[in-house]
Amino acid sequence: MSTECHIFQARPSALRRREGLVFFCFRAATYFVLLCGALIFGTIVFKGAGSVFQVRAPFLNTTFLTEAPESLHVFEFHGQKMELGDGDYRVFQARHPDVARVKSESYIYSAGGIFPCIVGTVLLVLGSMAIALILGVSAAIYLNEYARDGRFIRFVRLAILNLAGVPSIVFGLFGFGMFVIFFGWNVSLLAGWFTLAFMVLPVVITASEESLKAVPRGFREGSLALGATKWQTIRKNVLPYALPGILTSSILGIARVAGETAPIMFTAAYVVRDKLPWQVDKFSEFFFQGVMALPYHIYVVSSKIPQNEYTERVQYGTAFVFLLIVALIATASIVLRSRLRNRYQW
Amino acid sequence: MASSRPTEGTHFIAHKGTFRLFGLTLGDCIKFFFGGNAVVSVVVLALITIFLFREGAGFFGENRENLEVYRQAGLEYVDYIRTQQDDHTALTRYLSDLRVRQVNYLTQQKKLSLAAANAALAGFDTFADQYGDAVEPIRTLVSDLTEQATAIKEKFTVTEDRKTQRAQLLAAGQTEAAAKIETVPIDFVAELKPILGTLPAYREAAAEFSRRLNAVIATAPAMPEPALQARLERFKELNAEYLAGFPSVLRNLESWDFRAPVPASRAFTSFLFGHEWRTASFWQDWYGVIPLLVGSIMVSVVALVLAVPLGVGAAVYVNQIASPFEQRLIKPSIEFISAIPSVVLGFFGIAVLGQLLRALSQVPGLAWVPGFPYAERLNILTAGCLLAFIAVPTIFTLAEDALNNVPRAFTEASFALGATRLQTVVKIIVPASLSGIISAVLLGLGRVIGETMVVLLCAGNRIAIPDFTAGLAVITQPVHTMTGIIAQEMGEVVQGSIHYRALFMVGLVLFFLSLGINYVAQGIVRRYRISIG
Repeated sequence: MSTECHIFQARPSALRRREGLVFFCFRAATYFVLLCGALIFGTIVFKGAGSVFQVRAPFLNTTFLTEAPESLHVFEFHGQKMELGDGDYRVFQARHPDVARVKSESYIYSAGGIFPCIVGTVLLVLGSMAIALILGVSAAIYLNEYARDGRFIRFVRLAILNLAGVPSIVFGLFGFGMFVIFFGWNVSLLAGWFTLAFMVLPVVITASEESLKAVPRGFREGSLALGATKWQTIRKNVLPYALPGILTSSILGIARVAGETAPIMFTAAYVVRDKLPWQVDKFSEFFFQGVMALPYHIYVVSSKIPQNEYTERVQYGTAFVFLLIVALIATASIVLRSRLRNRYQW
Repeated sequence: MASSRPTEGTHFIAHKGTFRLFGLTLGDCIKFFFGGNAVVSVVVLALITIFLFREGAGFFGENRENLEVYRQAGLEYVDYIRTQQDDHTALTRYLSDLRVRQVNYLTQQKKLSLAAANAALAGFDTFADQYGDAVEPIRTLVSDLTEQATAIKEKFTVTEDRKTQRAQLLAAGQTEAAAKIETVPIDFVAELKPILGTLPAYREAAAEFSRRLNAVIATAPAMPEPALQARLERFKELNAEYLAGFPSVLRNLESWDFRAPVPASRAFTSFLFGHEWRTASFWQDWYGVIPLLVGSIMVSVVALVLAVPLGVGAAVYVNQIASPFEQRLIKPSIEFISAIPSVVLGFFGIAVLGQLLRALSQVPGLAWVPGFPYAERLNILTAGCLLAFIAVPTIFTLAEDALNNVPRAFTEASFALGATRLQTVVKIIVPASLSGIISAVLLGLGRVIGETMVVLLCAGNRIAIPDFTAGLAVITQPVHTMTGIIAQEMGEVVQGSIHYRALFMVGLVLFFLSLGINYVAQGIVRRYRISIG
């Protein structure tokens, strides 16, 4: 043992070198995953931002965000390269009749915007989360406040666990078989709402139960001791403290609902629809209409039309807007949750 | 927990049960309302099973009918001969592969120009052409028979259509209109006579065919190199085996009886173990789930091979090694990754990753990697990489939880005995949480197998069992998956048709597969949980 070395000081050895190497591998794995995430995110933001933002005021491409998808016509006219959406093309044709002789290439969905898709996704998320929250929070209240451990409750919990593992396409098939065909709702908002709500139910139940569990027992016992009924206790002394937690955790469920394509493919989504959802004759028709949705639109534009410089704008633009919405929801959930953890301490 | 309802017969001062609905107090009503909501998940699970069965169960009956027509219309008979022809085509493909190898050898080793190499192979080309043409008598026979069998099947379908039409009219009460529709039952004996009558012609054709093959094989030219010569010898062996199979084909044809009933189990086995999924074909539709199942499994295996080291490694790093600052940074980031919608990842695969991987495979320095270089942009590898990215957050989160649950005392005891941090991690913490890690991997598998959009967009969508003889290079081939086929074909099928029901059956297979994976994962956690304390 050399003298200048303290006896507790780590000495270099083969063991230590190996430790360093293995830990470096673990660290590399972690940062590799993060790097991949950053790359995917970066590519889509980098290429998609071009179709959403612009250099001139108002800096936002309002056409892309507020109009419906159109076909794009690309042609050469008097030595000038023209790119026009369907509507503009017709106006242009009326003004210059000789344009009909010019050969033009057209790409569907590549002009205009994605407004109907955004509206459709918002409607789908709102409706399905409303259903899922009512069902899920009530179920969690029963499981956490009323139920006693027994065979039945274990069975219910097993069902929740298994429901969480069912593939989303199976939910889509189920929704198609039950709501669309058996109930005769056709491809409609209502069918999509229920399909998505059932899919996200396990997430909501688990999140709600965790928040309810975090409320201390003393709150309930104090209330009961003062003569309140069970329901009064839950309403006044448990739910107010658990609700913020329930809502923030459920936001992650929202991100999942907004992001899923497979369940709405045959239950709620249309490839293209001219009318906006509120343009209905009767109020009841509102629930029985299909909508366009962002994830399905991405699927359509990325698989059904060729990839080139003209279609790229709408492809990356849609992906960017969609990713931005989902990312905002997810970030909100993560930030709110960590804040909440610091606020309530008991 | 104290019950809110006083027991019967006792009277408390604070008894509040004044309002009653159907003998239930308000408190009871509320309780049952919440209880009812809790049962919803059980009900949904049951409804999924019921509705998948409701739509899918009719498949087996219809598939049996489908197979019966296949036999009665003589398609099965023709397929015996057609298989013989297809096997010959496979052998000619072997020859053209051999030719490519020779050209490579001549141009690369012998430094001949392409034209000179082609000239040197003139002898081989004649041999290969003659070998390919030898099948002519059989080919003529098959194409004649195909027309006849298709005609019978067509007649049968028309009759069936008329029958359903009449049944519909009768159900609607329009007896007169129904009576106008004539249905002539098909006399299969008479219809099949011309087909069965070709047996002597087949005997002759087969004899002629084998005579020609034997004559051609004797003229096989010598190869310029021992390795290639070995391949030619192998080809000769294969040819001999092929010729030896002729009598059994003949026996099959002789003993073939269209009246032999199709056993009910065939409808079942031809789905579960069928090697072909072919729909909307002019000849015969097959609904075999195996190509799709193999595709799903291949993609998942690639995804897990990539995701398990990354996910578990990251979990160990964050839980054991990282500083608190890194932990606060990494955990939300990975949670954030899990929120990226799969359709966006699929789009990324089509737009960027597919090209990127293909370009990578064509880098000369990487030619030693099995399967590289490849031309197909969308394949198992592309889909597998993206699915790995989906599985990593799941595996990471659950494995990190499992590592967290290892009692502090275990770690401290290990350190106290003088173990290094690596030794503690490898020998104490990971083994103690192994059940949790394995179940995390299984749940990741469940997530990957059920993933739809990524495989639909990036797996290549070729419905065939990948060629496993290629070894590890199999991962650069395109496949189709169970989830992908449902998403792709569900929108196009006629409701209530056999194809529609087959898709529901695929959904059912998927459903039970995911339930099974879930069950095993939970079982592992329950069974091997370490006793803490």
